[in-house]
Formats: sequence, C-alpha cells, structure tokens
Amino acid sequence: MSDVLLELDGITIRRGIEVVLSDFNLELNSGECIILHGKNGTGKSTIIEAAARLIPMEKGEVRHHGQLVCDSEGRRKKPVSPFGLTLQSNGLVASQTIENHLQTVCAISGLDFDLVPILDAYGLSHRRHDKIAHLSGGQQRKVSVISGLIPAMLSKESRLILLDEPDSGLDDMSIETLKTHINQLRNAGHSFLIATHDTRLFQCATSLHDIKQETRQTAIKCEPWTGFGTPAEVPFLATKMGWRYNASTLISIQRNWLSALLVIGCLLALYEPLSIKDQEILVMGFVLAPALTIGLVGDSVISMLYEQRAIDWWRAQVNMVPNSNLEALLSGCILTLFSMQVFLQYMDWRIILIGGLIGLLSTFSLRLLQLSTLRLARSNAVFIRLLTPILILPWAMVVEYCTTL
Amino acid sequence: MMRVGHGELLLGTGFLGVMTTLYLALNWAPSVSIDAFASPAAQRIFYWHVPSAWAAFIAFSVLFTGSAMWIFKRSPLGWKLHVAGSEASLACGLMTVWSGCVWGAAEWGTPWDWSDVRLNTFGLLTLLALFLVLGRQSQPDGIESRDTFSTFGLYGFILVPITYVATRIWQIRHPGPVVGGGEDSSLSSDMGLVLLIGAISFTILIAGHIVMSAKITEYEQRLEKLQNHIDGGF
Repeated sequence: MSDVLLELDGITIRRGIEVVLSDFNLELNSGECIILHGKNGTGKSTIIEAAARLIPMEKGEVRHHGQLVCDSEGRRKKPVSPFGLTLQSNGLVASQTIENHLQTVCAISGLDFDLVPILDAYGLSHRRHDKIAHLSGGQQRKVSVISGLIPAMLSKESRLILLDEPDSGLDDMSIETLKTHINQLRNAGHSFLIATHDTRLFQCATSLHDIKQETRQTAIKCEPWTGFGTPAEVPFLATKMGWRYNASTLISIQRNWLSALLVIGCLLALYEPLSIKDQEILVMGFVLAPALTIGLVGDSVISMLYEQRAIDWWRAQVNMVPNSNLEALLSGCILTLFSMQVFLQYMDWRIILIGGLIGLLSTFSLRLLQLSTLRLARSNAVFIRLLTPILILPWAMVVEYCTTL
Repeated sequence: MMRVGHGELLLGTGFLGVMTTLYLALNWAPSVSIDAFASPAAQRIFYWHVPSAWAAFIAFSVLFTGSAMWIFKRSPLGWKLHVAGSEASLACGLMTVWSGCVWGAAEWGTPWDWSDVRLNTFGLLTLLALFLVLGRQSQPDGIESRDTFSTFGLYGFILVPITYVATRIWQIRHPGPVVGGGEDSSLSSDMGLVLLIGAISFTILIAGHIVMSAKITEYEQRLEKLQNHIDGGF
C-alpha cells in the first residue's frame, strides 16, 4: 500500500458559476497533518468535500491510498480503506443515540471498539445513551468530531482523516483533547487534512496551507496512539441502518403508512366495497392504491438523512446510503393485505406480493429521483415530485394484470 | 424610438399568425361529418392542438440540444437554449394538454385517460418542462444546477420518440396521426391549409420566444456577474 494517503491531482472545481479552485494539487503522506487556513470563501471546505468525493470536479482526480476514488469523468469508487470525516454540518441523525451513531461509524470501518474511554475524554460518556437531538450544539459537535477520528483510532493501518472546522463550538478543554488525539494519531501514521481558523490547532500541523502556498513546519512529537479495534464485519449495512433509523423513529409509519391508510379511508368514504364488487378493475385499483401511495410519499429514511447533511456524510463513506427498501416491501404487502380484506374480502398471496413489489419499486424510483438532485444548493426546494406521475401508467397496467389472476 | 429586435418581430408575427389560425379554425375551416365524431364542433380545437403539439416537439428538441451542448461542451449558448427550450416546451405543452383535455371531455366524455400511452408520455414531457422551469427558479444559478437540469433534459428526451410513435404502436384512445399516417390520415385541402398556417405560426412564435429568452438569460448572467463584482466575490 502506498504511503501517500490522499492525492488531489489538478482539481478544478466550480461553485455556482465561478471557479473556486483551479488546477489545485495536494499530497498527504502517512503521518502528516496539513492545515488549510485563510479567508472565508477561498475554498477550504471545497477541498475537504472534494477529498471526501462529495463535490464533482471540472478537471482532475482524487486518490485515496493511491487508488482513484473520483474524477472529473464522473467515476466514483468506494475507498478501499475507510476514512474519517467531519463536515462543517455535523452529519448526525438526531434520533440516534451517541452510542448507536458511533457504533455505526465503527461498523463502516469493519471494526468494533470500546467507546467509553473516548467519550470520557470529551466529557460525553454519561450521555452515551442519550439521543443526539437532546444534546447541546457543542456536544453534538463533539460527537461529530469523534466520528471523524474513530476510523484512525480503530485501525493499525494508516487512515485518512478529513476534518472541516472541527473546533467550531468546542470548549477549551475539548480543543486540548482534540489536539492530543490528532498528535497521537498522526504519530501512529495516520494523516489529517483539516480546515480551520483556530490557531491553537496550527501546532498539530506538519504543513500550513493557505490554498496558494504550503509552508512546512515541525510538529509536536508525542507518544503514538495505541488503542485498536477488533474485527466486526456488518453485512448489508445500508439496509440494516435504514431499518434501525425506521425502528427508532417509526418514520415510515408516520409518513408512508398514514398516507396509505388515509387513501383507503377516502376510497371508503366514496364507495361501499360490496356495491362495486362487479367492477373488477376499479376494485383492484383500490386494493393496490395504498401500495403505490407508500412509494409516492418517498423514502422516509432519505428525508430523515437530509438533517445536518447526514446524507452527505453517508454518501462519502459508502456507495449505497441507508434506505427503506425492506420497510417498503413489507409495508406494501401488509397494506395490500389490509385493503384486500376491506375491498375484496378474500386473500390472494400473489396480489399481496405484487402490492409489496409496487411499494418497493415505487419507493426505489422516488429515491432515485430524490438522490438525483442532491448536488443542488437547495435540493429540498426543487420540484422533483412533478415527475412522479411516471409511475401511474405502469401501476395501472399492473392493476389490469391483477384482475386476470 | 424603441428598436424592435429579431425576437420581438418573430414573436409579433407568430402571435398574429396564431390569432389568424384561431379565427380561421372557428369561422372558416369546413365542419367534419357528424357521423365521424361524437362532438363534431369540438373537433375545431384540433387546429390549435396539433400546431401547438408540433411547436412543443420543436421546443423539446431545442431543450435536448441545449442540454447536450451544456453537458458535453459546457457551452453558455447550450444553457441559454436549455432555458429557452424548457420555457417554450412548458408553454406549448400546456397549450396542447389543455386543448386535448377540452376535446377529450367533449369527445370521449373524459378529459384524461391514464391508460393511454400518448397522453401519458406527452403529459410527462410537459411535467418535465414544468419541473425544469420551477426547479431552476428554486435554485441559485450554478454549475450544479445547470448539470442537474441538463441531465434531466437529456434523459427526458427519450420520451419524445416514444410519444411520437405511441399512437402508431399502441393506439388506445388518442387518434392516429392526421398527417403522414397513411390513407387514414388524409385531410381536405382547406383543413390542411389552416393546419399549415397554424404550424408555421406556432413555429415562428416559438422561434421568437427562444430568441427573446436567450437574450433575457444573457442579461441575467451579466447582472449576476456585476453583482458578484460589487460583492468582491470570486
């Protein structure tokens, strides 16, 4: 494995219409800490986000550990080695407990770790079972910073850590702890790229970079970090996390189920189920309408991940973000079973399964549409749902087919 | 004295032509056989419906060309064409859908049929244009928004050939082609003349709109640059 943990090779990035970075090069070796500093708007966060493969580039490529992770051609590969990331927004899901969130970070690294000593160091161990929503802004920032450091704390191999203004909102004691951790981890061979205005963190740097020029300096020497994690692979992480987010908030019940049940209620307000028994297509449409409604409401987990840019944090780490696939399939089946009982008074497992598939595929399509606008500055404000009628014709064809079963 | 540019001239000529088409359609074009349609009088809306659909396809093509030019060449002209094309697609698409719904309500007894492929694909194209226009207004102008909307413009164009062949392959409720569709599609010469005037007028109107819109986009970009300059930004 290469000793160069991060390479930004001739990257040119636009934000808005203007070019923010032009032909920018940076190389970060094992055991180095580069601190990006300078005025607001010079492109520090842009560099961090480009290194985390969150920002598309006009030119150039980004490599982690010598392997391409993204380039201007649109290629985007999952990094072979996990890396730490703290964005300017915390990237946390408020409904998770501190412990759950940090365990997820460990799971992405494929390792398990005793989190209590770390949480102790930042004065958070007594709150580890609390939901992130119940923490103060400063405490949430600490959780976000710890999330960024964990991949290095767990690993014997060198890891890349990207921190965007980790100091913001931290008290003096936490800044000192952070400095100690950065120095210990750097001396253990991990590398840091940090954007900050806080001159206290400058002491950790092996280089200071003002975007135009890099100035090397002697960093503090100290004992290297020695705590490591134990291997703990978590298969199907995205689906499992989607399930966990759903279970902890019941967001699918709140949004998708409620809408589907309201649709059944509205239809019942118009027709007596027995009075339309001979109109097969109409009845079948009523039976399968709740399953489509689940999809049309959209993937609730994705909506939840928009909080504090958690979706960007996930997109940087993995190629498949947590989702509601499993819930959509199950919800489609259960609600179709329910509407069959209401409108048809009998059960056919084939139609129940088709209801589940309608729920799954329509949720998947909506998610695809939602994620396709993520690059936009105000992705929630874009009228992407205008395109959802594309699902009506296929749904109508399935309804017609179901009458032949 | 105010100088009249190409855009204004084309828009004015197109508008006059469209009004002439409307007058001829309602007062001069021959009536159709009362046996051929459930609502023969409503058929006159076809002189508006078909040319506006024709213009919509031109607008969708401009949108596609502009989107492709932006995505592959980063051409500022491409973006102007994308903006103009999406606005023109929306205007013509809405005119087509609205006139189709009016005719459908009179002829079929329902303004819309979700099971008809032509209706669905054309409706989706219009919704795509609406999404592009409203979506663009909801975002600050930038590479991110231009890339995203151009990508939708490119992929959305897949619906154009499907819409075109829809009534030839799956004729469910929408009538087959009135021009170029074989023996069934022959029109009387008077009908054909009104339709031709309509198609030319709508084409000129669309051309005028595209020229004007491109000019407005250019002014907006210049204004944004000047504002950035005043702000001292990058």
